[in-house]
Formats: sequence, structure tokens, C-alpha cells
Amino acid sequence: MDEVIFLEVLEGDGVDARHRLERFPATVGRAYTNDVILDDPKVSAEHLRIERREDGVLVVRDAGSQNGTWRVDPWARLAEMELVSDARVAVGDTVLRFRSRDHVVADTVVAEAPAAPRERLFERGLALPVAMLALLGTSLLEAYLGNYARTDWGSLTVAVVMPLALTLLWAGGWAVASRISRRQFHYRTHTTIACLVLLGAVVLPPAITALGFGLSLGRGLGWLQHLAFLGLMGWGLFWHLRYVTRWQSGRLVRVLAVVTLVFGALSRADDLLGNEPFSTSLEFPRTLLPPSFRLSGERSVEAFFAGTEGLQEEVDALVREE
Amino acid sequence: MSAILLAAVLAQAPVAPVEPGPPLPDSVRALPAPPAPPPAVLPPATHELFQRIQNRVAQVRIIERRSGTRSSIGSAFFVSGTGHAITNYHVVSDVVLHPEDYTAELVLRRGGEPVPARLLDVDVVHDLAVIRIQEPVADFFALEDREPPQGTRLFAMGNPHDLGTTIVEGTFNGLIQDSLYERIHFSGAINPGMSGGPTLTGEGRVVGVNVATMGNQLGFLVPMKHARALLARAVAEPEVEEATLLERVRQQLLDNQQLLTERLMTAALPKQPLGSYQVPGRWTPFLKCWGDTPHDPEVPYTVTNYQCSSEEDIYLSSHHRSGVVAYLHQHATSQKLGALRFSSLYSALFSQDPDLVEASREDVTNFRCETQFVDVGGLPVRAALCLRAYRRFPGLYDLVLRAATLNASTSGVDTSLTLGGFSAANARRLARRYLEVLSWTK
Repeated sequence: MDEVIFLEVLEGDGVDARHRLERFPATVGRAYTNDVILDDPKVSAEHLRIERREDGVLVVRDAGSQNGTWRVDPWARLAEMELVSDARVAVGDTVLRFRSRDHVVADTVVAEAPAAPRERLFERGLALPVAMLALLGTSLLEAYLGNYARTDWGSLTVAVVMPLALTLLWAGGWAVASRISRRQFHYRTHTTIACLVLLGAVVLPPAITALGFGLSLGRGLGWLQHLAFLGLMGWGLFWHLRYVTRWQSGRLVRVLAVVTLVFGALSRADDLLGNEPFSTSLEFPRTLLPPSFRLSGERSVEAFFAGTEGLQEEVDALVREE
Repeated sequence: MSAILLAAVLAQAPVAPVEPGPPLPDSVRALPAPPAPPPAVLPPATHELFQRIQNRVAQVRIIERRSGTRSSIGSAFFVSGTGHAITNYHVVSDVVLHPEDYTAELVLRRGGEPVPARLLDVDVVHDLAVIRIQEPVADFFALEDREPPQGTRLFAMGNPHDLGTTIVEGTFNGLIQDSLYERIHFSGAINPGMSGGPTLTGEGRVVGVNVATMGNQLGFLVPMKHARALLARAVAEPEVEEATLLERVRQQLLDNQQLLTERLMTAALPKQPLGSYQVPGRWTPFLKCWGDTPHDPEVPYTVTNYQCSSEEDIYLSSHHRSGVVAYLHQHATSQKLGALRFSSLYSALFSQDPDLVEASREDVTNFRCETQFVDVGGLPVRAALCLRAYRRFPGLYDLVLRAATLNASTSGVDTSLTLGGFSAANARRLARRYLEVLSWTK
């Protein structure tokens, strides 16, 4: 090997510490007299030496250690071993790797087009308070409008506290994930994203039922609602994950599209397979809104009853399905 | 509502009927005549009556083939010397619906092994059935349909809760007024297990067949004229495959719904004022209507209910009823709620369906609905029409019509009509007539 070699202390697949060795013999062990000090209790005070043999070859030699020095591949106890590049040696619980200066490194990973970091809308300072206020306001309004009995302060309080607690907890989970994988919490950003997702979840159902009422949509409404929720879920996961992984956005979109579609299909598997459990309930939209919400026109009684003639064939078909 | 009695019967010892009946139909007359009656004297005491007729009553057992044991019991009484006996349809419904799984047998009062019985014919609308054992019967009732005067003392026989043959005293109170399916009102205790047993006058003449109770001495009997007609039919065509009975039940249901439809379509549907709306009122006398407005000062709205129902149905199986007409209107109004909060209330009312006709998975399909905005004589309405088919009886359907008016932002009428066991065309005709009555008076 070369004049200069590197001793690497491995931890899993990664390198925990790297030592440049230029002068030989070099000693490795727990004692402070060594050139390379290992804080492993199973390593002896003077554990091994790296030295040049008479023929000029660099070797690793055990210095009479308590627990021995082991070659990793194949596993064998060694007294002396010639050093080749990438050779690995185990001492105590520690694995050492030797590499020479001419070790070839992998190609550089190509990054997305480098650009100045763009500040996203929900990273701005005002985004969080605005999103949070919008969420709490909407939630409160929905609780107020949905209650036709006397004002119930308890349920109004819940309508504020619940989304607040939910977003903070949810964002906390994502922030921890961000911290682990990217060393930064991004808590504000995650909270803003969580607020926007929940705002969507609060606003979408009434918006879709109002649309369904206005246009007198029947059975398509359930699917529309399902799709809207899947879209919302995909959007929320995308932005949360943008602050957690370093994946490129194209890859993230592809993965999330698959995940969302699989989730959507599984949650509707019964419908997709045509498995309809027996039920005595009537399945039709029950929303009634003030007259001004009605967009589509009325049919005549004649036309309505003519339109119901197909029902007979539908239920007759159900009998034949058995 | 009246509970169907499922269970008891009595066995009997040979004694002669006291009163000679009016002439039977030819087919019945051809049977051996009952033994000659003894001379009429004062009405005998109850124990004498019981002694005299106990052998004319038997217990019906429905045997499930695989377990080989009884799955339900009821009562029956002999009406011919050749083994014909009358019971309720609901006692033998399992044999009609699943002839491959169930058979019937009679336990005679004289003791001995139970005798297998064949199901000959049924009248599902009046809840009657004729069964027959393959051995001659010495002692039986002659059927006649003379009605006794109101207040006559009657005796119901049967086997309540399988406690043994029982005789119960009560009084005759004529036909139930304005009923959809004819029933005699018997003021006496009829209990589960007495179904299919006879109710007699003191002379031992059968007045009706025990069928149902509302508790507290309110009992119901099927008038004898229906039993006589059914017996005549069964005797005229003695060999009927048990499997074809299902088709016969279907035909009877179809005929009945046709009759019902015609009765309703020929009657004028009165308009009942409800708030500032007019809604369908009491369509025919057999519908019983009730109304109420719950008063709760805490609540910022008022909802007025108006509902009509035949309060009677046809028993098809333990979990399937048919032949029902019922409707409910709910008028909601509020001075205090805004338009959107009123919408929440109104949607909540519209989301609740009234009790539907009872049915299980093997009886009916799921509902299919069609919903639209409909213009009913200028009044905008959100209407939904739902239909489900009977699985065992092709051509019969349950229909539910739901409609809510949409002309005002803080008041409205939500209505629902339930029609059980009609042909699709008839159900739609009735629903249309019903919907067209809705109107706004301001």
C-alpha cells in the first residue's frame, strides 16, 4: 500500500471517525500512548500495531491483546495480516477499515437545478396565524350552523379545542421526523400544513354537499367526496414529506400517487368489487338547503315518475344476481 | 300492534256438535257428515263444553328436518271426517317457504305418536291454512259463518306457551271497525301458542280462528267465512304440490295489492292543512291517523307530526311483513333560527326514515333510490323514490317516497310514504297521487 493510509472507525455502514496515518509503526488501543485511541472497553490498552515489514509491505499485527484481533471477511483470528485496500478488522465491538489514498469514490449525485432557496407560502411568518385562525373560525362556524337546538357552549368549545390540539400534535410528529432525518424541526411549517389540511377537511364536505344539493347530484356524490379527500390527503403528505425526506419532488409525487390510490382503492374495495352488504336503509342525499342554494331546475311530477321506472329493473337485477 | 301468537293446540275427544250449521259448499258437503247433534238444551257449562270438543283440537308441530325436532308449535282444529284441519298461515309459514327444510305434524289429544300432516292450501291475506292427516277423524267441527250477537260469551281454545290445552272465556265484540284485513274483536286472553285454535260459542260452534293479541284481553280472530272458502277450495283440488304453494301465496298477495290499490285510487285523497301547507290526510277509513306537536320551550323551533297507518300487515315469515300503507308528515318551522341553521334541522328530519316494513336479507333486495327536484303544482320539492324487490315473490315491491318542500327558508314539510308489497306500477301510481296532493296555501 501507499505511504499514507486512512484508518476508519466504522459504525454500521457509515464512518464514525477517520484517522490519517503517515508514520509507521502506528499503534491502536485504549491507552493514551497510542496514535489512534479507541474508547471500546473490550479493546486492550495496546491492542494492535500497523507497521512495515522488512519487504516493505504494511501489515497489521496484534500487540498481544486480551480479546484478540479478527479479520472480518472471512472471519478469523489473526496475528498478522497484510493490508490491502478496504481490509476490515474487528477489535472488541469496533470494526476498523483501512483505505489508501488512491481509493476511488463514487460519482457525485446530481442534484436538482441549483437555485436560491425559495420561501414557500406557508413558511412565511404570517402563514401560521392566518391558517390557524381560518381553521378555528371555520370549525366554530360549522359547529354553530350545524346546531339547531339551543346554543351549546360545550360543543362550541370542543369545536375550537379539538382542531387546535389535533394540529399541534400532528405537526409535532412530523417535526420529530424532520429533526431525525434533516436535523431541523420545521415545526411552524408543519403546523401550517396541518392547519391547511384540516381546514380542507372541514370545508370540503359541506362544500361538496352544497354543490350536490345545488346540482341535484345523486350517487356520484360519494365518489366525489372520496376523491376530494384522497387529493387532500395526498397534498398534505406531499408537503409534510418535503420537509422530512430529501427526495426529489417528482419521485415523491409518484410514490404518493401510488400510496394514495392504493389507500383509496382499499378503503372502497367493497364498492369496487360490487360487494354490497344487505341493508334496509335508503341511500340518497339528505341535504336540504335554503332555496337560494338550488341551481338546477325542477322536473315535472310526470318526468320524475317516468325517471323512476328504471328502479324496477335495477332491483329486479339484484334479485337475479343471487 | 297486535302480536302474532305462535304455538298451542288442543286435542279432543269425540263429541257431537250441537248446532246444525247452514249448508256447506258442495265440495264440503260431500264429506261424511258430523255425528248427529244431541237435542239443544241450556248452554252447557265450560267443563262440559271442553269435554265435548277437546278431541277436535290438536297441536301443530313444525319439524325441522335436519334436527328432527320441533322448531315451532301452534294449534289446529279438525273440520272434516277425512282429516282436514284449519290453522294459521303463520303457524305453518316455514313449511310454505322452505318445504325442503320443514314438515308439519299433529299431536292428537287422544295421545299416541304425532301424525304427519300435509299442507294443502293457504290464505296468506287472512292468515289461514288447511292441513290434512291421512287418517279419518271421528269428531270435527262443522263450519258456518253465522255471527253471534255482540256480547255473546265465547270460549277460545289452544295451548298457550305449550302449557297444555286451555279454554279461555271472553266475549264477542263484532268485526274490528275500519280494519284493512277483517278480524273479529274477541275480548279475552289469547296468548302465544293458541294460534290456529278455534273460538267457540257455548254450543260448540266455531266463530273464528285465534290469530293475534294486543294484550290486556284484546284478542283477534279470523272470521269463519274465510276459513270456509279456503276449506272448500282445498277439498275441491286435493292434490297440490307443496312447492306450488309459494306461487299461490304470491298470487294472493298480488290480488290483495290490486284490490288495495283500487280502493285507494277510487277514494278521494283529502287535503290536510299543516302549517301553511296542505298534505295528504286520511285517505281511507282503514288508515288510522295521529298527530302531535311536542312542546319544548327550550327548543327554538317547532315540529308538528301527522301520521297515518293501516296499523295492520300481512305476515309472510317471522321477519317479513307485507301489505302495508303508512305515511308521516313533519312540519318544521322556526322564528329564531336563521336559514342555514334551519337547514340543519330540516336536513336532520329528512335524514330520519320512518320505521320501514320488516324484512330480512332472504326476503328483499337493497333499496335503490332516484332523487330529483320536482315541481309539484308550483311547489318546489326535493323528492326521492326508493324501491326494493321481494326475492321470493317476483312482481312485488316495497316503495318509499320521501319528499321535502323547498319554497321557504325557515319552514317546510317533510313527508314519507311507505307502501309494502305492491306491484311496481301500482306503487308508483299511489305514490304519484300522494305526492300531487302536496301544496302551499300562501
